[in-house]
Amino acid sequence: MRSSLKIVAGVAVAGLALAGCGSKPTDTAGSGASATAAGAKVKACIVLDTGGVDDKSFNQSAWQGMQDAAKKDPALEVSYIQSQGNSDYEPNLTNSVKNGCKAIVSVGFNLADATKKVAMANPTVPFAIVDSGSNAPNVYGMKFETAQSGFQAGYLAAGLTKTGKVGTFGGTLLPQAVTDYMDGYLDGVNYYNQQKGKTVQVLGWNGKTGTAVSPDPSKGFNDKGTGRSITQQMFRAGADVIFPVAGASGEGALTEAEAQGGKLTIFWVDFPGCTFYPQDCPNIATSVLKGIPDRIGAFLEGVKSGKPLTGTFDGTLANGGTGIDGFNQFDAKIPADLKSEIATIKTKIISGEIKPATPGRG
Amino acid sequence: MTLELTPEETRVPVVEAPRPVRNLAIGTGSCAVLCLLLGLGAGDSGRSSLRLNSPGDYVSIPLITVPTTLTAIVLAVLVAAVTAYLVARRPAGRVRALCTWFAVVAVILAFLLWAASGDPNAQLDAVGLLQATIFLAVPIVLGAMAGTVSERSGIVNVAIEGQMLGAAFLAALVGTVAHSLVAGTIAGVVAGVLVGALLGTFAIRYQVNQVVLGVVINLLVLGLTTYLYSRLLQQDSAGLNQPGTVQPLTIPVLSRIPIIGPVLFEANLLVYLAVVVVVVLNLMLFRSRWGLRTRAVGEHPRAADTLGINVTRLRFRNSLLAGGIAGLAGAYVSIGSVGGFGINMTAGRGFIALAAVIFGRWTPLGAMGAAILFAFTSALNTALSFIGTPLSIPSQILGSLPYLVTLLVVAGVVGRSQSPAADGVPYSGR
Repeated sequence: MRSSLKIVAGVAVAGLALAGCGSKPTDTAGSGASATAAGAKVKACIVLDTGGVDDKSFNQSAWQGMQDAAKKDPALEVSYIQSQGNSDYEPNLTNSVKNGCKAIVSVGFNLADATKKVAMANPTVPFAIVDSGSNAPNVYGMKFETAQSGFQAGYLAAGLTKTGKVGTFGGTLLPQAVTDYMDGYLDGVNYYNQQKGKTVQVLGWNGKTGTAVSPDPSKGFNDKGTGRSITQQMFRAGADVIFPVAGASGEGALTEAEAQGGKLTIFWVDFPGCTFYPQDCPNIATSVLKGIPDRIGAFLEGVKSGKPLTGTFDGTLANGGTGIDGFNQFDAKIPADLKSEIATIKTKIISGEIKPATPGRG
Repeated sequence: MTLELTPEETRVPVVEAPRPVRNLAIGTGSCAVLCLLLGLGAGDSGRSSLRLNSPGDYVSIPLITVPTTLTAIVLAVLVAAVTAYLVARRPAGRVRALCTWFAVVAVILAFLLWAASGDPNAQLDAVGLLQATIFLAVPIVLGAMAGTVSERSGIVNVAIEGQMLGAAFLAALVGTVAHSLVAGTIAGVVAGVLVGALLGTFAIRYQVNQVVLGVVINLLVLGLTTYLYSRLLQQDSAGLNQPGTVQPLTIPVLSRIPIIGPVLFEANLLVYLAVVVVVVLNLMLFRSRWGLRTRAVGEHPRAADTLGINVTRLRFRNSLLAGGIAGLAGAYVSIGSVGGFGINMTAGRGFIALAAVIFGRWTPLGAMGAAILFAFTSALNTALSFIGTPLSIPSQILGSLPYLVTLLVVAGVVGRSQSPAADGVPYSGR
């Protein structure tokens, strides 16, 4: 019996170690050639939320930004730590400081409090946070008015639908990262109806309640099966343009679109969908983008040059912090009128003539 | 010496704790009250529409519209009558189970009517709801079958989640590399069997606490698949993680029957396979020598041993079998439904399956029913968000519906259910 306990303990340790390896590698993406030149390297670290580096959403976007920066500037050494739960945020940030990170990026609104605390305790280390405003002198906040780009997407969806119904769903209904997009989308559809005297209907979101893959954030962005099931139900209920705001769960929507053979159109979120899913590009009309990589690049550049950015960056259509991607293979299918209307809407949103949803109204 | 009794002579009924009928009557009674409340709380339009037709049906069923309050009150009266019958006649076994299910279905129906009564234009698409239910139910049903086999032989199987996740991973990987979904499915089953062997070895040979062991195995598989995914599959998605999806097999003629056609005869091969697994397992468990021995080993291993059954060997083999079935569930999760692996993509389905085993009282058919109920609540969550319910239910609460139902059903309707007597108890021979 005693030996069996040892064995199971061994397996347990191996399991935990592997679990650790799987989710918390400290990748080094910088060039290793000049690693011996002490002082030449600048360590930049990123603390991710629970979704992980492959969430096809803001965590991946942010890590992409870090890698792009390291590619451009070989003196940057970038690494990430994934959080397993909200009790991890603070220790992960503190450990990053202890490990000599000279620039630290926190990903997600959920890390705001922990970032403020650690930043206050380490006033000489520059921090940046995605999806939250600056909350300490040495924290660079980045917010994205994704309701603006979502508005354009909603208008486009309403213009593209042949059934008079469009859909959207979230991984979990988080403000900032998810429902802002959906609010804008809904408003864009309503604006189209108002302008054209149509009655296009939005399935899956009414501004207050809607469809989520799961109430649990650690699963909502990773459940492709439920993502596909929701898409199937929406398609059956008549929606022929669907905008999943659900990270990897949205891949289920792509699978369903492929199965429907051109009758179902998908809008991708955060990323240019056609770049990441070239095989699904025929079904992706456009992507609603969030300029996270760009901002992280700017932040790291600032740190390198000794003038770290502070304050809050407010990403809008005007400054390119958010926007919709090109139409790729849909270019010929979208009428020129609709394209020019989308462009007009952009100008009107920038000038303030159209005001998309106020964030966080849900 | 082996047990040489014919199955017919020895069909031992499942040992059940004599449940007081009172508890059950309280359960069904509250179902009746719930129906009544839902009827009285109907929304402004006062009527509910149910859509039952699909494009391509032989016969087009017109939209069914009923007055909400009246229908719900009728349901309440029926459930109340069933409750009175339960109290007066104290039926046992199958009749009692039927009464329980009737009350549960009535409440669900009353809830649907209530939900569709808010907006006069709202139509609840019953066929779409059932289609989604089947789509979501398959992995839970198969997982529950794995749980039933293993628990009936006396091994607590908390590792279903891990078996499914490992299988989902290997199915996607092998399916892509071999360019064959059949090979992928087989690989999934093999992965499940391997994890089942791990469980069996430690549970039987080393007699480790089975609950702890299951949790550890789940962690091990999660860690292993996450690690391999980020090191291999993520790096070369096109070459390693694009297996494609098993295509639906539409059965001619049958698929165009209204309602059941689109629900049952437009699914993919793995769905049909799941049905076969349930039917065969139910037959085998209660009508074959293997089934008798399995149940004996799970109820009273010493008695089985004295009759010449090799307890450890049978338990180990059944552990492999359970792993294989869970492997099929895992294959469905990746290549059977979405065509690719993702980190932790089973998302707790293995644990829901475990709850279904208990709710289904360790019988294949019961577990299947429970699994379908859980999948249904999940599908309902989506369907409800399309139609404006009379009370605006926050999506977080809607999303937690499956878990809420699990809790209520396990605690309330099932009450104290009796597991196989030797479930989780290691057998050490003499």
